[in-house]
Amino acid sequence: MSTITAIGTSLGTSGINIIRLSGENSLNIIKNLFNNYSKLSPNSIIYGKLIDNGSFVDNVLISYFKAPNSFTGEDICEINCHGGSYITKEILNLVVRNGAEIATPGEFSKRAFLNGKMDLSEAEGIIDLINAKTKTEARIAIEQLDGQLFKKIVSLREKLIEILAQVEVSIDYPEYDNVEVDNIHVLNLLELEIFEITKLLDSYEEGKYIKNGINVAILGRPNVGKSSLLNNLAKYERVIVTDIAGTTRDIVEETVNIGDIILNISDTAGIRDTEDIIEKIGVSKSIKKIDEVDLVIYILNADDNLSKEDIDMISKIKNKGIKYIVVINKMDKYIKSIFDTFTLKLSENNINDTINISVYENKGIDELKRKIISMFFDDNLNSVNEVMIVNERHKKLLEKSIEYLKNAKKDVINDMPVDIISIQIKESAKKLGEIIGNDVSQDIVDKIFTKFCLGK
Amino acid sequence: MSYNAGEYDVVVIGGGHAGCEAALATSRLGKKTAMFIINMDTLANMPCNPSIGGTSKGHLVKELDALGGEMGKNADKTFIQSKMLNKSKGPAVHSLRMQSDRKKYHIEMKKTLENQANLDIYQAEIVEIITNDKKDKAIGVKTMIGAIYNTKTIIVATGTYLKGKIIIGEISYESGPDGVFPANDLSQNLIDIGVELRRFKTGTPSRININRMDLSKMEIQKGDNEISLFSYENVNNIDMINKNQVNCYLTYTNENTHKIILDNIHRSPLYSGQIEGIGPRYCPSIEDKVVRFRDRDRHQIFIEPLGEDTSEMYIQGMSSSMPEEIQIAMYRSVQGLENATLMRPAYAIEYDAIDSINLNLNLEYKSIEGLFFAGQVNGSSGYEEAAVQGLMAGINASLKIDNKGSFVIDRSEGYIGVLIDDLVTKGTNEPYRMMTSRAEYRLTLRQDNADLRLREKGYNIGLISQKIYNKFKIKREMIECEIERLKKLNIYPNEETNELFRKLGSSEIDVCHRASDLIKRSEISYDNLMALDKEKPNLSKDVTEQVEIHLKYEGYIKLQFSQIEEFKKLENKKLSQDINYSKIKGLCLEARQKLDKQKPLSVGQASRISGVSPADISVLLIYLSQIKRR
Repeated sequence: MSTITAIGTSLGTSGINIIRLSGENSLNIIKNLFNNYSKLSPNSIIYGKLIDNGSFVDNVLISYFKAPNSFTGEDICEINCHGGSYITKEILNLVVRNGAEIATPGEFSKRAFLNGKMDLSEAEGIIDLINAKTKTEARIAIEQLDGQLFKKIVSLREKLIEILAQVEVSIDYPEYDNVEVDNIHVLNLLELEIFEITKLLDSYEEGKYIKNGINVAILGRPNVGKSSLLNNLAKYERVIVTDIAGTTRDIVEETVNIGDIILNISDTAGIRDTEDIIEKIGVSKSIKKIDEVDLVIYILNADDNLSKEDIDMISKIKNKGIKYIVVINKMDKYIKSIFDTFTLKLSENNINDTINISVYENKGIDELKRKIISMFFDDNLNSVNEVMIVNERHKKLLEKSIEYLKNAKKDVINDMPVDIISIQIKESAKKLGEIIGNDVSQDIVDKIFTKFCLGK
Repeated sequence: MSYNAGEYDVVVIGGGHAGCEAALATSRLGKKTAMFIINMDTLANMPCNPSIGGTSKGHLVKELDALGGEMGKNADKTFIQSKMLNKSKGPAVHSLRMQSDRKKYHIEMKKTLENQANLDIYQAEIVEIITNDKKDKAIGVKTMIGAIYNTKTIIVATGTYLKGKIIIGEISYESGPDGVFPANDLSQNLIDIGVELRRFKTGTPSRININRMDLSKMEIQKGDNEISLFSYENVNNIDMINKNQVNCYLTYTNENTHKIILDNIHRSPLYSGQIEGIGPRYCPSIEDKVVRFRDRDRHQIFIEPLGEDTSEMYIQGMSSSMPEEIQIAMYRSVQGLENATLMRPAYAIEYDAIDSINLNLNLEYKSIEGLFFAGQVNGSSGYEEAAVQGLMAGINASLKIDNKGSFVIDRSEGYIGVLIDDLVTKGTNEPYRMMTSRAEYRLTLRQDNADLRLREKGYNIGLISQKIYNKFKIKREMIECEIERLKKLNIYPNEETNELFRKLGSSEIDVCHRASDLIKRSEISYDNLMALDKEKPNLSKDVTEQVEIHLKYEGYIKLQFSQIEEFKKLENKKLSQDINYSKIKGLCLEARQKLDKQKPLSVGQASRISGVSPADISVLLIYLSQIKRR
């Protein structure tokens, strides 16, 4: 039986989220990701770091319940991570990449039952939960599947059903005209289908930004106006702003809407060499923050100089390959002679394409917003209307679907008989069907009789 | 007037393919059985195609044979052409079809029934099923002329005879097929005892004298050079394997045919609204095909002989319910049929069928104990579909009398299981035909391994003799031994090996390989590879065939087995018949109603009922665990 996973807490405001894994592979998956794996023993909870290929993900608590003494009766591991939808989903993705499958609604309970687990009072509560969950899921599913994506999946699946109908017709009605399946034709269809699904999968990243928002860090030396920019974007005084450098000592997070797009902005402590211990921790956190975000807004001041810290920091950001925007604030204090030297220095250091703003005078903010959106979406926001996937379950199903199609392609090339090839295609169509909730077998039968002329 | 005519363990109503198998099964299992048929001369009649088997239907016949049914043996005795279909495709879909001598098939089957101990056959129409006062238990039957037979169980296998009505153009009359009386009274009686009925429809083409055909204008369709047989018991029957085969022929409709049909379509009862029954999509009339597929300029017409002692030919592909004069013009427009006279016109037939979701998986009617249904009356279509239901109903009626549990084949064990589960669990809105695409685990449900899947079950039930079972056990052991041997057998990279591989267009090897791995290459067969093995045991073809298929498709078979394992988990979660679904918190309304009506036996079966969602299944599972703890 496969190992399943899901987020066990509600995403949103909670401080801690739990990602639960159940199945024989649970422990193996944790082994790959957890630095304190060796300390993990049944019914224990261990603190440590979650590491993905050498890079740090989050400080977590991991508990382990050994089969059969667990909720589902299988090996269960639970990752307690920090709250916030971004990190939680990242961890979920991480365990999925390491071999777990996204659980379907009620699947943990189903397994608990299948393994003879679950007591009475729990079961009562879970019925309600499943109901509630199903309703929410249904609502979400309808929202997500409304319109474009639904149509897209239907059409992708339809093409597979057509291939299958052709195969089935050639099997069930072997002596009829025009029913034999042409391998080249099947191969072409498979390749087209693989191409289309790949394209859809590629939209996942973009779709993710739409669903979860873009994670943005505002960086810069102290007192360049990072918190002022955040307050401006948030349209209210979220962060205490003073003229004293180093006012912001820890990271402040805020969710801001630009049109339909959500920015999850982290305002950071200004980066400078400081003796203040608390501020120092804040600074190192700011630098670390770069690894966790999709976009860095680096702020400079028009009336200031380009410091060594700035140059180092910007090149660090560049080297990490993270998207960034250099913003020049305080244009209200613009003095031509100073500014000219400043821009010259910028171009000497290959810092081009900057945006000039004045938070104080509320100028250039719209341009900044447009710039952010254009960095993540083609054609500004038009791409929002294109078909894209945002849901991990859908992504996983599409990946499975494509895997079966690739097997089918291999079978065609190896000259396997059509009915063997059809096994893989059927599985693939089944996975697409799971996204939209249909029964493959009956569809094939219906297709056979609408498309082909058969019978006594 | 009526009189008490005697007592039986089992009464079978109807003597078609379902009725014959049912009667043979119960009598062979030691139950005193009476079979009633309206006209003795139509016992095991083939009112439509003169053939047995075909895609997926061939699988049913093989499975029936493995369980101890008669159809395969009778087809072997009376075939006039044998053809393995789909040979160019994978082994899972190879399907045997035999053209049968219709009259001889009837005669041989009748002989078998006549010589069967514990079985009496009567020519009589049953007009009443007698129940207890509460109408929840069947206790007897009454014939039209007043004979009353008491019985423990009844198997209804009325085919298309229940209120049969034949329609040819504007003309319609009450009749069963081939001019036999319909069973009208029984239909009302069934309604009276609470059986839900509905109207289905099917049809058949004309029969035309071969002497009025110009065969030179048609393509000849021959049987296979190497004859295949249905029954395991006939494997080495020299007479059968060397039998002379007759030809079938292929011709086509043309634009003129289509014009005749379209010009007169208003006279088709299908389009004028005269036919109320629901017809099968897979068996459309020629007028249906022409209307629905207007872009086709021709349709295939297969000409099949009805037997060796007759000149009547079956015109496959041209079933119709057009007025006779239109039919004449229509048939005569076909190349080779220019001078045809219709010995029997094509017709549509409407009949009463039950709603099969009112049956349990053992084919017993849910609300009436001891009353079983089998065959076309259940909404299926086809001789083979009918026969397997007859056998299963027979076995289950017998088990019922012995107070034993039901015998059910599940979807992973056989096409029989798929067929019955589809009918009983999903239900059908049109006459149901078996198709390979309906089977989820097709690769493991092959016609070649029907024996391995089911013969042991047939033996345990008591329909397979000790002698045959012993023979089968030896075959099974030989297959297993040879598979094990090939998994250990090394094929070394030498000149002889690589020369063979070059010849077969396969890539050469430079290290030692297991024979079981090399056989997975699509271009290398078992026989090819064994040419390299000096110690090859001498094995029969049915053994080496299994070894080859098993090893060649091992990966796919394993994939399917793991799917089956998942499937079985839910099948094994049993649901009690006393569950009150309307009381279960959390089920959606539609699921509650459907589950209350159908009372599935397992969670797996519940999951296949339309309107029951995965969320409902989770709720059911949790409910079950609550019950268990209480």
